[in-house]
Formats: sequence, structure tokens, C-alpha cells
Amino acid sequence: MFTGCGVVTGQNQYLTRDAVRPHPGLEVNTPIQMENVVAPGTCAIYQGHTYSNAMQPAVVDVPDPLKPAPLAVPPPALKLGQDGFKKVCRTEEDSPCPFPGLASGVLEMRVKEGSKIRNLMGFAMARMQGEKCESGRDVSGGGLRQVVFSGSGRAVTKTITCAEIMKRKVGSLHQLTKLRYKVVKEVWESTEGSSSEMTVHRTVPSISILLSKDPLDPQEPGYQPPETLSALWEEKEGVESASQTACKRPLGPSPYSSFTHCKRVCLGEGVSVLPPH
Amino acid sequence: MCSFFIWAQPLYIYTPSDTHRRKLPKRRNDVYVNMKTDFRAQLARCQKLLEGGGHREICVHGLGLAINRAINIALQLQASSQGALQLAANTSTVELVDDLEPEDPDEAGEPMTRTRNNSAIHIKVFYPDPQ
Repeated sequence: MFTGCGVVTGQNQYLTRDAVRPHPGLEVNTPIQMENVVAPGTCAIYQGHTYSNAMQPAVVDVPDPLKPAPLAVPPPALKLGQDGFKKVCRTEEDSPCPFPGLASGVLEMRVKEGSKIRNLMGFAMARMQGEKCESGRDVSGGGLRQVVFSGSGRAVTKTITCAEIMKRKVGSLHQLTKLRYKVVKEVWESTEGSSSEMTVHRTVPSISILLSKDPLDPQEPGYQPPETLSALWEEKEGVESASQTACKRPLGPSPYSSFTHCKRVCLGEGVSVLPPH
Repeated sequence: MCSFFIWAQPLYIYTPSDTHRRKLPKRRNDVYVNMKTDFRAQLARCQKLLEGGGHREICVHGLGLAINRAINIALQLQASSQGALQLAANTSTVELVDDLEPEDPDEAGEPMTRTRNNSAIHIKVFYPDPQ
């Protein structure tokens, strides 16, 4: 599944949990600004270059995020690209792992926007299903027990897709999903003669999905038990086998009052397997 | 081969044909996020359900590209509640059925369907039970 060379490069980053990146000592405002997926035309708030010298945090603290008053929203990347700016670098601020009590040495898959799912899954599946590693490496027999997929901004959907694919291939995985904001610092440089530089702090939504062969705490918010196929067939009895439409919701009375201990919730979701012919 | 066919009904979970029809069950506190409606309007709707509607929890759903927006709405709700709200996210895979028809009516082709998978997220936004 990898490209020709034996080393995977490019957008994919595979780090173990042991790797710790130093915190850049940046002053971060409370994450009130948001980067919406809005069409560039609708974001008419930002006009011209309101950010001058470099290294100036380009966000303004707004007390009430719901006020319709114009906010100093960080300019969408498209607008900056049109203004003759080129992105120089983009660093993510490292925030602590959202999963409490996570064992170190768990595989962390950082999904970026340009990552190829094929590459990501090839690597992750090999690790989870226990490939034979070279001698001298300390790897637990039978592959890893846990893997974390994390992504932010435009990579969120891809992150979820990777997790879903892994859940389907490696059955009976417990899932824990965490959402939070991540602050991304971008440095844009002008391509025209004027060497002006802009530093933009963007808060983007980010997701972290922990998949584990070992049972997790069901009381934790965001926990999702593994789907059991046997109970699934009972549910599907009423549905004609010709249609392959998946149930987005469980067919029975939907017990959404408490996610945590109710296994029926997940049965309807994530169904994309063919009924036995 | 693909050039013959166009998407007759792209991205709809329910299509005209009855075999594929599925109604989305919807409780009062379900909010389905889409990319057409204004972001602020959807956010205000969620806000209204939580505060005015007296629901202790709402469920925000998003499919495909709307996943990002759903997460944004949920995080915004949490931020504006000063930490009183908690989030619980579940993910799932949804099957979508596309109906394809031959572009040129004279072409000898029959309408066929194609299924594909898409990711969906369901975020429960709730006031935790006092313990």
C-alpha cells in the first residue's frame, strides 16, 4: 500500500505518544474565534490588511461570540492567497492529550488534510494486526492494543473515516471520541515586493479518536461500544434485504436519553455490511 | 463508461424510488446540520433548544462536509455556556445511494445505482447530571 520507496514521507506523520513537542511560548487568546467553512464571499468582515507588523497576534478578544457585530475573524486562507500572500509555515500548538490515563507508547496517527487514507490505513492496520517487526524493536506481541487518530480543520472528516474503516476491518474495537479547539499559528508572507509578514492565529476544531481492543470506561462522555453483528441481524429483520441503505439511527425506540450504557444505540449506526444472502 | 452517466439524485438519502426511501427519525432535540443554512442560524436554533426549550440535552448530527460545522456548533455551544455543557461524540458510517441515469436519453443504458459510504458524527450536548 505504500509508494515505491520503503519510507513514507509527505503529509503523513506517525508519532508515538512518547514524542513530546516543546510548547512555543505563545500567548493564546481564549478560543472564541472560529474558522467556519463558509464561502469566501460571505466573510465580508475582513477588509484589507488590518494586521501590520509581524509577530502580532492577529485576533481580537470578543466577549460574546454570538453578537452579530463584526468580529475580527482571521481572514480565510483564500482571501490571503488572493491578496498576494503566500503561506510560509504553519505550526500547530501542541495541547495535552485529551484521553485520561492513556498508556504511553500507543500509536498516534496524525491525519492531515493531504494524507492519503490508503497510506494511513496500511500503516495502522499493520501495527494493529501485529506484523513481524525487526528484531531489536520492543513491540508487544500480537500488535498494538490502542491507536489514536487525531486531526484538525479540514482533516476532521478524514480522521473519522480512517477510524470507521479501522473499526470495520478490525472488529470489536472500543471507541472514545474527544472534540476540542486547536490553535494553529500561520505565518503568511507577501509575494509582492513589500516584505510584510502576517501571523494569523486560527482556532480550528479538532477531533481525537481512540480505538482500543481493551474495554474502556463506558461512563466517559464520547464512549462508543463496539458494534455486535449478531444483534444487528435481529434488527435488520424488518428491513428488506434488497435495499442496502444503512440505518442512520436505530430502528427501535431510540434510547438517546443516555448514550453510555445502551448498546442498542450503535447498532443502527455504522451499518454498512451486506446482509447475508 | 462513467461519462455516460450523470448523477440524477446526488447525495440524497431518500430518493424518489420507494426502495431507497428512508425517513430520518427526528426527536424534538435533534438538530441536523447542513451546509446550506447559515451557520449562525443553526447555532441560534441549538441555543434556543437548550435554553428556551428546556431540553437538558440536544443531539447535533452532521454528515460528510457538515461534520466540521456540527463540531463547530457543538464547541461554540460549550464555549458560550462557560463550561456548563459537556459534549459526547459518536461516529458512524452512513450508506448513500446515488441514482445514475444515462445522460443522453437515446443511449442504450439503464439507470443504475451506486452506493458509497460517508462518515457521520452525532454529538450529544448536555448538562451533566449533578452528582
